[in-house]
Amino acid sequence: MPPRQRKVLEFVLDNLVWFMLLAVLAIFSATIPNYFQPGIFANVIEQSSVLGVMSIGLALVIIAGHMDLSVESVAALSAMATGILFASSGIGMGITLTPGWLVVPVSLVIGLAVGAVIGALNGYLVIKIKMNAFIVTLSSYIWVRGLVVAASGGRSAQNLAPDLRFLGIQRFLGIPLTAYIAILCFVGFSFMMAKTRFGRHLIMIGGNEAAAFRAGIKVDKVLMIAFVLSGAIAALAGWILAIRTSGATANLGTGLLFNAFAAVVIGGVSLKGGVGALPGVYAGVLLLSSINTAINLMGLPAHYTQVIHGLLVLAAVLLDTLKQTIRKRLA
Amino acid sequence: MRHLLKYGMVLLAGMAALLHPAYAQDKGKVYYMVPTLIDEFQTGSVSAIEMFLKQVGYSVTTLNADNKTDLQQSQMNDVIALKPKAIILAAVDFNALAPSVEAARAAGIPVVEFDRQISSTMSDFTSVAGTVEIGYVAAEQVQRLLTEKNGSVKGKVLQVLGDPGDPYTLDIQKGFEERMAKFPEVTIISQPAMQWEASNAGTIVSDQLLANPDIDIVFSHAAHLSVAAVASLEAAGKKPGEVYVMSSNGAPVALDLIRQGWMQVEVEQPLYAQAAAIAMFMDKIVAKTKIEPGEYDVLGLKSTVTDEAWGPTIKIPGAAITKDNVDDPSFWGNLKPPATPVTSVP
Repeated sequence: MPPRQRKVLEFVLDNLVWFMLLAVLAIFSATIPNYFQPGIFANVIEQSSVLGVMSIGLALVIIAGHMDLSVESVAALSAMATGILFASSGIGMGITLTPGWLVVPVSLVIGLAVGAVIGALNGYLVIKIKMNAFIVTLSSYIWVRGLVVAASGGRSAQNLAPDLRFLGIQRFLGIPLTAYIAILCFVGFSFMMAKTRFGRHLIMIGGNEAAAFRAGIKVDKVLMIAFVLSGAIAALAGWILAIRTSGATANLGTGLLFNAFAAVVIGGVSLKGGVGALPGVYAGVLLLSSINTAINLMGLPAHYTQVIHGLLVLAAVLLDTLKQTIRKRLA
Repeated sequence: MRHLLKYGMVLLAGMAALLHPAYAQDKGKVYYMVPTLIDEFQTGSVSAIEMFLKQVGYSVTTLNADNKTDLQQSQMNDVIALKPKAIILAAVDFNALAPSVEAARAAGIPVVEFDRQISSTMSDFTSVAGTVEIGYVAAEQVQRLLTEKNGSVKGKVLQVLGDPGDPYTLDIQKGFEERMAKFPEVTIISQPAMQWEASNAGTIVSDQLLANPDIDIVFSHAAHLSVAAVASLEAAGKKPGEVYVMSSNGAPVALDLIRQGWMQVEVEQPLYAQAAAIAMFMDKIVAKTKIEPGEYDVLGLKSTVTDEAWGPTIKIPGAAITKDNVDDPSFWGNLKPPATPVTSVP
């Protein structure tokens, strides 16, 4: 294959998920009534904010060669903590701060702390006690959700403080501020992965943990940071989720874990570790959100939406697998 | 003298036992199989059933099935082995639990269906508001709201269902659409909020507002979905009352939304009355004596017991909550349990 043609093909493969996203948006715009409008595209970006942020944390741990199944429940706990403290209806305590805007950093710090603590616990059990990450985080997935149900007593906290809701309502260029938080996270963490020593070490550990250790990388420390980051980022996703829904219910965020995994895989992150970049994950999140929006607009009978959702995700993953096959042949 | 003292002591002990509140628990244990605890109605049902049954002398142990049919089947098997006085079942799946109901009854344990009617097998008692009937009440309210808004029963309704795998939401949909079918000028757009998750409902509303900006009413099948729907309306720049909002089950959050002006109608499931009815008839259920059909007063609500193919059934009418009656303490969403204890039906 001529070098120029090969270069083009590699560029397409490197950014395949973005091309898939463009193709899907074009097809949906052409075939689904009312899909092609700025408001729908803004909705796709806005609806990606929670899943997008959650996928970043999950991707970091997967790139490092591990697994974090607790992200969904951690997000729910963070949302419930925010709801209980700063919502005024239901089980919300309606705590007010002076000046009012203080509720934003205070609730964020509380949420992040909740997530970081659970992430640290996961990390400790995996790294120090040498337990399997899948089992440890599966256990956290269960007990943290249980904690959400216990803390709420099955009830909900609603009517979040107006200064927090402001972030979900106020728009800039037609997109709510919460979506910009997600975009900023992707930009920041993409930079971290590509340009910092921590990011490079994370990829090296995921590729070959023993080799990374022999090369002098403090594997345990880097992995612990990855787990803490995963928990804190999941908590940030929960905080955004609470803002988006103006409170929290005990089942808030249910099902997000599987979508986050789908987004990470579609985005090109290898479940074996050591491979992946966050911009691709964001494209994967946008792709899933586009599919969800399409399903919402198609007016299909309720029973079939899950089937279609699953098949579309499968199609996206199959295309990604095809990409890997072509890449191997090129190599 | 010694005998007199002994008899006196026994008499005193008996009287003390009668005066102690625990006397109310001496009729035995009843198990309540709740389908989930992540729904305010179900959470409320636990405390209501425990409170009312205690008033008529039974203690209640509750088992949560986490919305899993297989888990509830296992719980039924376990409870049958414990031989309680009765089992109150709010089935995760109406049909899948029928064999468990049959197994319990074959073991001599009466089974009461709460809130979710099982019509494919016999039960000893059923206490329901009627999920299909909730759909009927919702349809009446939608007709009223559309007439109020558009001059006649015409317009567009976004129906946000719960999880499409849950027969509860499908029954409400059935009742609602059955009664709306005679109004061809009403367009109903139905979308499911997977796993009853609130942010899914919010997403549906924000998408549909763009595709169908002329939506008149958003009708969600649970109050917590309406909260997310309202959040999406607010984010889309809508003001309270611009798009009508209604839902069903009567949870506290819905009553708050009515007070704030965002929600126009909440179709209440009469939780307290449904639970109180079970307590009123529990002695008859345990003794396996006939429950006479007819009208009964359950916490002030006229309710009818009928003999159905699946056994005696009490249907308690659901009410429409609006801003005019939202503070009525009889609505369970106001979280003010009735002060007067229920008594057993003689």
